[in-house]
Amino acid sequence: MTASNETNPPVSPAPSESPSVPIHLRPARPADIPALVPLLLRLKRLNEEFDPLLKVRDDADEQAHAVLAANLADPKSVVLAAEGIGADRDKVVGVVRAVVRERPFYVPEHEGVILDIYLLPLYRRRGVGEYLLREVSTALKAKGAGVVTAEFPAQNEIASRFYAKRGFRPITSIHARSL
Amino acid sequence: MAESAASPLAAGRSGRRAVRSKREVAEKEEEETAALGRRSVELSRFYQGKIETVPKVPVRSLADFSLWYTPGVAAVSRTIEADRDQSFELTGRWNTIAIVTDGSRVLGLGDIGPEAALPVMEGKALLFKYLGGVDAVPVPIRVKSPDQFMATVEAIAPAFGGINLEDIASPKCFGILEELTQRLAVPVWHDDQLGTAAATVAGLLNALELTHRSIREVRTVLLGAGAANLVTARLLLTLGHDPRRLTLVDQRGILQAERSDVDELMLRNPWKYRLALQTNGGGRAGDLADAVREADVLLAASTPKPDTIRPEHIRAMAPGPIVFALANPVPEIWPDVARDSGAAIVATGRSDFPNQVNNSLVFPAVFRGVLDARARAIPDEIVLAAARELARGAAKKGLTPHHLLPTMEESDVFPEVAAAVGDAAVRLGIARRTLTHEEFLARATERMGRSARLVRALHRAHLTPPMPRGSPRPRSPR
Repeated sequence: MTASNETNPPVSPAPSESPSVPIHLRPARPADIPALVPLLLRLKRLNEEFDPLLKVRDDADEQAHAVLAANLADPKSVVLAAEGIGADRDKVVGVVRAVVRERPFYVPEHEGVILDIYLLPLYRRRGVGEYLLREVSTALKAKGAGVVTAEFPAQNEIASRFYAKRGFRPITSIHARSL
Repeated sequence: MAESAASPLAAGRSGRRAVRSKREVAEKEEEETAALGRRSVELSRFYQGKIETVPKVPVRSLADFSLWYTPGVAAVSRTIEADRDQSFELTGRWNTIAIVTDGSRVLGLGDIGPEAALPVMEGKALLFKYLGGVDAVPVPIRVKSPDQFMATVEAIAPAFGGINLEDIASPKCFGILEELTQRLAVPVWHDDQLGTAAATVAGLLNALELTHRSIREVRTVLLGAGAANLVTARLLLTLGHDPRRLTLVDQRGILQAERSDVDELMLRNPWKYRLALQTNGGGRAGDLADAVREADVLLAASTPKPDTIRPEHIRAMAPGPIVFALANPVPEIWPDVARDSGAAIVATGRSDFPNQVNNSLVFPAVFRGVLDARARAIPDEIVLAAARELARGAAKKGLTPHHLLPTMEESDVFPEVAAAVGDAAVRLGIARRTLTHEEFLARATERMGRSARLVRALHRAHLTPPMPRGSPRPRSPR
C-alpha cells in the first residue's frame, strides 16, 4: 500500500510549523487507519444530531475501515491526517477526507469534494480550520480540480458559517424523504 | 440539577439531624412533605392566592382620580414620552419585576405547564416582597420556543424594572438569559443559575478562608453540570481558580474534551462545551472517584439522592476537604457521614443543617440593590459583589465550620448585600441613579423592613384573615 504516499500529494510542512497552529498535517498512511476511524465516526455521529436520515449504521466502524483503505488506494482521493505537536506529537487528532469527481456537463470539469473534516475539540483553535481548508484545496487542485466543494448536513449551521466566511456559496441542494 | 436552595418557607419539613436509620429518615421526610402538601392545598383554597395589589397613594374621594387617573395623568405620560427613563421615577416601575416562567422545569416537578407553575411563582413573589420589598408579578407564559419566550419577555419589559426568570430547563435557560441581558435595558436574573451559584461561591469563599486555602491553588470538583454548577464554574474561573484544577462531573462521568458526547455539547450546550475544553487539566477521565482524588473542594448540585457521594470519595480527597452537598431535599451525602469521612466543612441546601446554601440569601438583596440603582443589567461582577458581601456578613458574626453563611434569621446582612450590589452597579457605570453606599444601605434597610411591618399591620387590622386551624404550624428554620 505504498501507493497511498504517491496518491496523496505531499503537503507543504511550512504552515504546520507555524506556532499558532497546534497541529501538523500530513498525508494519511494505511497505518493511520485505526486512529482515523474513531475520528471519522465522531463526525458521523455529530451528523446524526442534525437529521434522522443521517443515522449511523451499526457496522459503521467496519465500513470506515474499508472506506479509508479504499480512499488511500485511490489516486482520486485525498486523505490527510492531523497530528498534535509538542507533547501530542504522533497523536492523530484530526482527519480530512476529499475526492476529485468528474463533472460531465459543467466546467470546470473536475470538482474537489471535501467529504469530511474532523478535529478533536481541543485542537479547534483559531486558524486551524482555515489551515486545513487551504491544505486540502491545494491537494485537490494538484489532482486537477478546478472547483472545491464541501458536503455537510444542511442543518449544520456551524459548517455553513465556516464555509460562507471563506467564500463558499451553496450551488446544489440535496433534498430527502424516506421511502 | 439540584433544587439546591430550599425556600425558607419550606423549612422544617425535615427532622433534625439525629441517630436514625436512612430509611427512617426517608420515611419521615416523605410523611412530613405530604402533610405540608395537604396543608398547602387547604390554605391555597382558603386564601385563593398569596399576593394582591394594594394602593400606595391616598384616595380621599373619587375626585382624587382626576390626579391618579385622567385627566391629570396625561401630563405624566407626556413626561415619560419625552424621556422613557422617567418611567422609573413617575411610576412603580422602579420597584416592580416580572417573574417569568414557561413552566418547563418547576421545582422537582418537571415540565408541568404555566398554570401549574403559578402557585410557585406566587410563592416567589411573596418572598420577593417579604424579604426584598420588591413588587413581583407572576407571569407564567405559554410559549413554544426560546425565541417566542424571549419575544414575549421583550414585549412586556416596558412595565418592569427587572425580570426574574424562573424554573426554565437547562440548557435553554443559558441562551435565554444571555440573549435577554443583551436585548433589555433592565436587569435580568435567573435564580437557578445565578442565585444558587452566588450563594455557593459565598459559602466557598468563607470555607477557603477557614481552611487557609487560596482559590488560586485549590483543586475543585463540581458534581452535576446543570444551571447552577455551570455558572459556579464560570464564577470560580473569574475569581482566579485555575481552570486546569477544576473538574466537572456529570451523569456520564468526568467532563473532558475527548469524551464522545463533546461534539453534541458543542451544538446543544456551548456553555458546557467551553468548560469541557477549558477544565480538567491533565486530562483525567473516569467517574467521580477518579475526579475527587486529591481534590480540596467538592461542590455537588446534582440529583437528590443519598450515597451519590460515598465516604470513600471524601476519604480520597486532600486532607480536610470542603464538601457542599446541595441537592434538595436529600443531599448527595448526609452531613454527619461526610464529616465522619474526614470532611472539614460541610454545607447543604437544607435549613435543618448548619451552612444552608440558600438562594433566598441572594435574590431579594440583589434585586433590592439593582432596583435602587435603576441598573440596566446584572453582570457577573454584581453577582460576585453579592457573594463577597454575603461572605463578609457571615464572617462579621464569627466564622466557624458551622457558620459559613448567614442564616435566614440574620437578616441585617441583606441590606448590606443590597448596598454592595448598588455600589457595584454605580462602579460599573450601569446605574441610572448614583447613590452613596450609605444611601443605598438606608434605602434597602427601609424597603426591606417595610414589608415585614406591612404584613404585620395587615394581620393586626384583620385585612389578612388569620390562618384557619389545621395541622400544627411548620417548625421554623433554626
